[in-house]
Amino acid sequence: MLAHLASFAWDAPSVDLHALAPEIVVAATLVVVLVIDAFTGEEQRWAASSVAGIGLLVALVPVATLAYDGATRVMFGGGYVVDDYALVLKALFLLSGYVVVLLSTNYIAEGDYWEGEYYQLLLASVLGMMVMASARDLISIFVALELLSIPAYMLAAWRKRDLKSDEAGVKYYLMGVFASAVMLYGMSVIYGYTGSTLLAEIAPRIGELVTSEPIITLGIVFVLIGFGFKVSAVPFHTWAPDTYEGAPTPVTAFLAVASKAAGFVALLNLIYVGFWGRHDVYEPLMWVLAALTMTIGNLIALRQTNVVRMLAYSGIAQAGYILAPLAIAGSSPEAADQALHSIVVYLLIYAAMNLGAFAVVMAVARKTRSAEIDTFGGLFSYAPGLTVAMSLFLFSLAGVPPAAGWFAKIGIFQALASAGDTSGYVLAVVVAVNSVIAFAYYGRLMRVMWMDDVPDGDTTPIRVPTSITAALVITAAVTLVIGVVPGVLTHFTDPINLLALGR
Amino acid sequence: MLGGDPLLSGDIDLAVVLIVLLKVVVVFALLLVATMFMIWWERKIIGDLQNRIGPNTAGPFGLFQTFADGVKFFFKEDLLPDRAQRRVFILAPLLTVVPAFLLFCIVPFGGDFANGANGTVELFGHETYLQLADPPVGILFALAMSSVAVYGVMLAGWSSGSKYPLLGSVRASAQMVSYEAALGLSVCAVVLTTGTLSTHGMVVHQAGDGWGSFIPNWNLLAAGIVPFVVFLIASQAELNRPPFDLVEAEQELVGGYHTEYSSIRFALFFVAEFMNSVTMGAIIVTLFLGGPAGPAPWGPGWLWGVGWFLLKLLVFLFVFVWIRGTLPRVRYDQLMDLGWKVLIPISLGWLLVLATFHVARDQHWNGVVVALVGAAIGLTFFGLLRFAIATSKARRLEGVVD
Amino acid sequence: MFGLLVAQNIAFYVIAALIVFGALRVVTCKNLVHAALWLVLVLAGVAGQYILLAAEFVAVTQVLVYLGAIVVLFLFGIMLTRAKTGHDLELDNPTPAKVGAGVIGVLLLGVMGYALWDAWRGQELGDIVVQRTAEVSDSLFSTYLLPFEVISVLLLAALIGAIVLARRD
Repeated sequence: MLAHLASFAWDAPSVDLHALAPEIVVAATLVVVLVIDAFTGEEQRWAASSVAGIGLLVALVPVATLAYDGATRVMFGGGYVVDDYALVLKALFLLSGYVVVLLSTNYIAEGDYWEGEYYQLLLASVLGMMVMASARDLISIFVALELLSIPAYMLAAWRKRDLKSDEAGVKYYLMGVFASAVMLYGMSVIYGYTGSTLLAEIAPRIGELVTSEPIITLGIVFVLIGFGFKVSAVPFHTWAPDTYEGAPTPVTAFLAVASKAAGFVALLNLIYVGFWGRHDVYEPLMWVLAALTMTIGNLIALRQTNVVRMLAYSGIAQAGYILAPLAIAGSSPEAADQALHSIVVYLLIYAAMNLGAFAVVMAVARKTRSAEIDTFGGLFSYAPGLTVAMSLFLFSLAGVPPAAGWFAKIGIFQALASAGDTSGYVLAVVVAVNSVIAFAYYGRLMRVMWMDDVPDGDTTPIRVPTSITAALVITAAVTLVIGVVPGVLTHFTDPINLLALGR
Repeated sequence: MLGGDPLLSGDIDLAVVLIVLLKVVVVFALLLVATMFMIWWERKIIGDLQNRIGPNTAGPFGLFQTFADGVKFFFKEDLLPDRAQRRVFILAPLLTVVPAFLLFCIVPFGGDFANGANGTVELFGHETYLQLADPPVGILFALAMSSVAVYGVMLAGWSSGSKYPLLGSVRASAQMVSYEAALGLSVCAVVLTTGTLSTHGMVVHQAGDGWGSFIPNWNLLAAGIVPFVVFLIASQAELNRPPFDLVEAEQELVGGYHTEYSSIRFALFFVAEFMNSVTMGAIIVTLFLGGPAGPAPWGPGWLWGVGWFLLKLLVFLFVFVWIRGTLPRVRYDQLMDLGWKVLIPISLGWLLVLATFHVARDQHWNGVVVALVGAAIGLTFFGLLRFAIATSKARRLEGVVD
Repeated sequence: MFGLLVAQNIAFYVIAALIVFGALRVVTCKNLVHAALWLVLVLAGVAGQYILLAAEFVAVTQVLVYLGAIVVLFLFGIMLTRAKTGHDLELDNPTPAKVGAGVIGVLLLGVMGYALWDAWRGQELGDIVVQRTAEVSDSLFSTYLLPFEVISVLLLAALIGAIVLARRD
């Protein structure tokens, strides 16, 4: 029987350990945190967050060496690709994961929540995002999506004794699995039609049709809608505000930044590598989603009285901006290139400024125990540093120079204009109008901070813990430096090219 | 498509259909008779172990006792509790019996495996195996059926509309789900050794000569003794037999999940339990003791196969009763500790050891070095596991977690 | 071979009808446990379809995972949390919601049914190739090695999170 077995031809896959090193480091860190947690008592609980943070930074080392090496590494027949695009995004996920660890350290330790397990789940989620950045295969994409989502569902419910947190977790979970199911159905249809799970093999088969077949349209729409939930595009955004408000604030920051970015990464992979030829399907869909998302997100954000909810809706609106270039991506290779760059740049900048804003909210909430906009009244009089930082992030979110946001917005406009057709211009106008609307609520918060009185006259200064200070310094520095010298960022993003693989 | 049985590989004519039907009838009858015998056997042996006489009135040695009991059950009043969920209540006993029958389909109960023969038997001009079905995924089918068997127990307890049955069924399902992992992992070790999932293939693999060409090549030895022991323990838990019969712990739960059942429905549970014991014994024989494989000195080889199979089965049926008569019932936390902290790590570890040796043999590594390194790694992980368990215990005592 | 194909087709339609009926009962049932039991029928029917397609390994895995583990855990959860034996009116939605869901359901059915019919009408499956378990494991450990490994991390994370969320503290 054994001899019989040996006769089966089986080729061991070639595994490039260097290319997988960042993922391996993160997975190993997860195991180390797990073991430390199993063997130590109450006194050493701080170790978990330190090890998790260090592990995420160490994982940047192989990312850097791979980037220095520069070669595109393709594994598993094209199912897993490590190129400049993947590396930039992996660095983004690792860094934002690190900032979230910094934000969490005090919050989790002081709230008496489960500590070791928190960081284990966070690491698992980051690992899923990193896999997503390289996944070029329907199965890998799905597995990566689940790995990044499932820990996030549970993290959202981490404040177990708080009903709001439970609600956040359950809502996020139900919406998330529903979206996964829709997406999986779309994937199965696409696989059934093309007979392959590899995006690079799907592309020619669905691209060669003159007009799309109903089944292909259905499959693409379902898959993209599944990720529409992930990036909280309207009308699939209903979970976001409640989840963001109820979840522990560091988790909210994580969801709003890293998890959303991972959704966009998946959309980019799918559209650029897999569905490239079917722009007659995804362009109108993305156009509608983008326009709806930014408009409705901004309009609802206007009415919020809670900063976290406001940031949630502003995040939805920002997602609309990021979706916009995808609506013209298929018109020409140049436009596609512009769109890809503008999206990646926007994701990087968005991560920095949004994480920073959440860091300020957390620092303030340590004193006020609330995230209502009123509690920010007169912040400048007793916490000038935080106020300046928050203003920087708000300027950036609104797109005012010198904060980095302007560069991201310009990229979006350039991409939309590069298509040179009406739909691109109209969408550019929609983006512009929305940017103006967004000024209103960013400005309102700013006014409250700088001009209003302190609500209860309590002007004792805020003691900001070191870890949050570190997070603030990192995000503020990134926001400012990119805003002033955008070349720092474009140096990394310029070599990015996804289309070459699909062709 | 229907498996490796040569009967179905050619054209399918009436004779083939009749042969299949015949096999169905024979397997069904064999299992029923074996079950009746098992009930008598269990009562008799337990009687002997406890210095009692046991059933001795109905027929020679009380052999017809089970039959008499069956008739009695049949004529008793069929009670349907007021608060029961009627349809599910009626369905539950059937859900227990059907998997028990299906499980036996894949057991090879005879055939000539001596001297390199592959167990085929000539029947009305057609070659076939002495087993009802030989699907290529045979042993997985067995695992699937034993996991489906949970439904009967679970639904019986729930549909009775009474608290003791509910508690019993919750215990039972937790227990069966927990021990399935250990069961599956020890089956994995066997699959790794034999390289096939088909039960017939496993028997063929074990029919050859093992070490020193006189010890049989049974998986009991070839896969190491560990999977066998784990499987034996886990199978007792899976069957809800003592010492793992917390499901029907009389002191705590009256009768467990079937407290509210009476008459023929109770009889179905009762029969299913013993039927499962027989089937599980047959599966252990197939997995670890070569099934019907054995020498055939004279006469028709297939009859020897049946004989060897029955003999091996009888040994296990005795062992089952012996275990029952000897060991006291474990406590619930001990049960879970044994399942999760002992059996699963051991079987998982052993699976890795086996895999390591297979790789080492394929790559021609030095066996001694592999053994030493493997032992070192194994000891390290054993130590880590002990340490982790000790830490969690210490924390529990500190009251940090409960 | 012709006879076998006809038998296969008949079996397909019978099982398909069972699945559809079971699925309808899952959503219309007023009793949570009964709904779970109908779900068992649906999942078992799917396993039956796999067998018809000669994918025995998938079929057995379906039984082992869905019937043997997932629905058992469903039932387990229902029994531990709310062991209501009778009808449960809270499971019902208000009529407008039902009508809306019905309309959307019919629309989806129409769109998906048309798309599927349009894509594969008139195509024959050809000879069913028996799928060997070894082939499944071969592709699992070569082409799909990475997702396979990733899933192990996923399961670990799910395990950790589930324990934390479920335990008292």
